[in-house]
Amino acid sequence: MTSETPVLSVSSLVKRFGDVTAVDGVGFELMPGASLGIVGESGSGKTTTARILAGLDEPTSGTVLLAGEPVTGRSRRARLHRARLLQMIFQDPYGSFDPRQTIAESVAEPIRLHLPDLSGADRRARVAELLDQVGLSERAGGSPPRELSGGQRQRAAIARALGIRPRVLVLDEAVAALDVSIQAQILTLLDSLRRDTGIAYVFVSHDLAVVRHITDTAVVMRHGRIVERGDTETILRDPQHPYTRLLLDSIPVPGWDLDRVARDRRALDASR
Amino acid sequence: MTVLEKESAIRPDALGIDGLTLGIGSGASAVPLLDGVTVRVGRGETVGLVGESGSGKSLTARAALGMFPRGARATGAVTVAGVDVLAAGRAALRDLRRTRASMIFQDPRAAINPVRRVGDYLTEGLRARGVPSREAAATALELLEQVGIRDPRGALRRHPHEFSGGMLQRVVIAGALSTEPDVLLADEPTTALDVTTQAEVIALLKEMQRTRGTGMLFVTHDLDLAAAICDRVYVMYAGRIVEEAAGTALFSAPAHPYTKALLEASPPVHGDRTEIKAIKGRPRSLAEAPSGCAFRDRCPLAGDDCAASVPATRAHGTSAVACVRPEEVAR
Ligand SMILES: Nc1ncnc2c1ncn2[C@@H]1O[C@H](COP(=O)(O)OP(=O)(O)OP(=O)(O)O)[C@@H](O)[C@H]1O
Ligand SMILES: Nc1ncnc2c1ncn2[C@@H]1O[C@H](COP(=O)(O)OP(=O)(O)O)[C@@H](O)[C@H]1O
Ligand code: SF4
Ligand SMILES: [Mg+2]
Ligand SMILES: [Mg+2]
Repeated sequence: MTSETPVLSVSSLVKRFGDVTAVDGVGFELMPGASLGIVGESGSGKTTTARILAGLDEPTSGTVLLAGEPVTGRSRRARLHRARLLQMIFQDPYGSFDPRQTIAESVAEPIRLHLPDLSGADRRARVAELLDQVGLSERAGGSPPRELSGGQRQRAAIARALGIRPRVLVLDEAVAALDVSIQAQILTLLDSLRRDTGIAYVFVSHDLAVVRHITDTAVVMRHGRIVERGDTETILRDPQHPYTRLLLDSIPVPGWDLDRVARDRRALDASR
Repeated sequence: MTVLEKESAIRPDALGIDGLTLGIGSGASAVPLLDGVTVRVGRGETVGLVGESGSGKSLTARAALGMFPRGARATGAVTVAGVDVLAAGRAALRDLRRTRASMIFQDPRAAINPVRRVGDYLTEGLRARGVPSREAAATALELLEQVGIRDPRGALRRHPHEFSGGMLQRVVIAGALSTEPDVLLADEPTTALDVTTQAEVIALLKEMQRTRGTGMLFVTHDLDLAAAICDRVYVMYAGRIVEEAAGTALFSAPAHPYTKALLEASPPVHGDRTEIKAIKGRPRSLAEAPSGCAFRDRCPLAGDDCAASVPATRAHGTSAVACVRPEEVAR
């Protein structure tokens, strides 16, 4: 197992927007079928990192290897190659669905693009299989995106992303906007997909409980840098960086100690 | 009688909503929104109102200010510090919102006029109460200090866009408490904030509330948050209150199947890694809910008796619960 190539390998990633350094030397590896969490405060560079992975932004410097090969350039070929291996899911996928297409047509789109040789019948069969896999009814498949609830749209986005059997799914706050009961449905769906298909996740979230549930390892970002990394369980049990401690103590629990949060903040401010 | 009970026997509750039923339209096009909602907030008490989207939390909170959807019909009773809100005219409502009840929302940017300075925002409520401008300015400065704004004097002259979401929410809290209201209605006030900022804003809210003795209705979809900071919590589902419990009891002894299902659907951050259990279906509004118990199409304990009528609220353990068999809801 240890000789296996990481499906995603990121090193020394830097992204500057003018004089803002949004991502500052980020690096990590993701093995096939693994799940990595990215947590951190607002503006710490999580989305920027995710967008670079998905090829939606070019890094200022640094490299991204997918299945051992560098992915660079914005040529059609480069973009298709990347998309084939890695797909991204956003907080609210509404904007990424064509309002005039049915959900089933949207789900079919990447398959049409990446597997042009597939017959229409095979493509339709694959779409039906995908919709079933994410728990969407045929009726939902025939509906325009506006008629779907937030949870159904997120299922549809997952079905669309899975259509071309990518090896990595990057999810940016993908369950943040969902009601608790729906969030649990999507989390269990993601669990079983990973078990059944061996797909790997990069899971960006501010919710440490969700990150604990869905990931094996995690990185904690602050001001564009990774300040802590390791097994998710270890980070949560024994946080080393003052920011990670603040993050953990900020989670509401019975007997929540808000004075401790204030102490953590002072410790963090003193640490730099 | 406890001290609190003694006091409330003399002074009316900060907020009392009693059997509030709300609907729009009439006849065949009537849409029910709330059904028999009863919520009480004592003076100085923090009370949570929890539920998923569309359950009617915001409608309930806004009712306390006499703010109802256009064309809505309300029955029942709503009183704020003894004032009958449903009977109040426009002038009385304006006065109520100015002096007795304040509200803060999820998005602080929606609450503040973007082209006005923060100082003007903070002083206008005070000025409307007849506080002279010099004194109002001094109070505004003091408030900004209290809510932890760096360089409060400079902040008075700045515009909303110059503040982060967390800092602006502090400004809004300062404004909401400047009039020393009897009740503060906080509708998802930290939902848009970072977890760390949320903790700091909550600490501030609790402190301000404690020193002023303000009652707070804290609306949130986050059960953990409500249980952590509230004395009592109401759980809402499809336009009705389904459970009322002490904040601490919610976790140890949920009495309603929905409360229990919510707890089992959220992964824990501490302790053992437990499996999460998804709740089938999706949350409903009152208008789309089944007859009888509105939760019965999603409830693992549902039986034929659950369809007969809306379950009456009854005592179970330390909770009040609207379910026909709370004794089967052991955690
Ligand atoms: N297109 C852009 N132009 C200029 N600055 C940007 C751009 N995108 C991001 N930034 C800046 O880069 C930093 C990191 O932003 P990013 O969106 O990656 O944060 P995040 O960790 O995803 O935050 P959140 O938790 O709020 O989603 C921020 O300072 C942000 O303002
Ligand atoms: N102004 C309005 N007119 C008609 N229906 C409304 C109005 N406001 C809210 N509703 C409906 O009432 C229900 C409860 O809404 P709301 O109180 O906003 O829920 P919550 O705050 O719990 O998410 C929803 O079904 C919503 O669509
Ligand atoms: S009344 Fe019946 S359906 Fe409703 S919550 Fe109780 S057991 Fe479930
Ligand atoms: Mg982001
Ligand atoms: Mg609401």
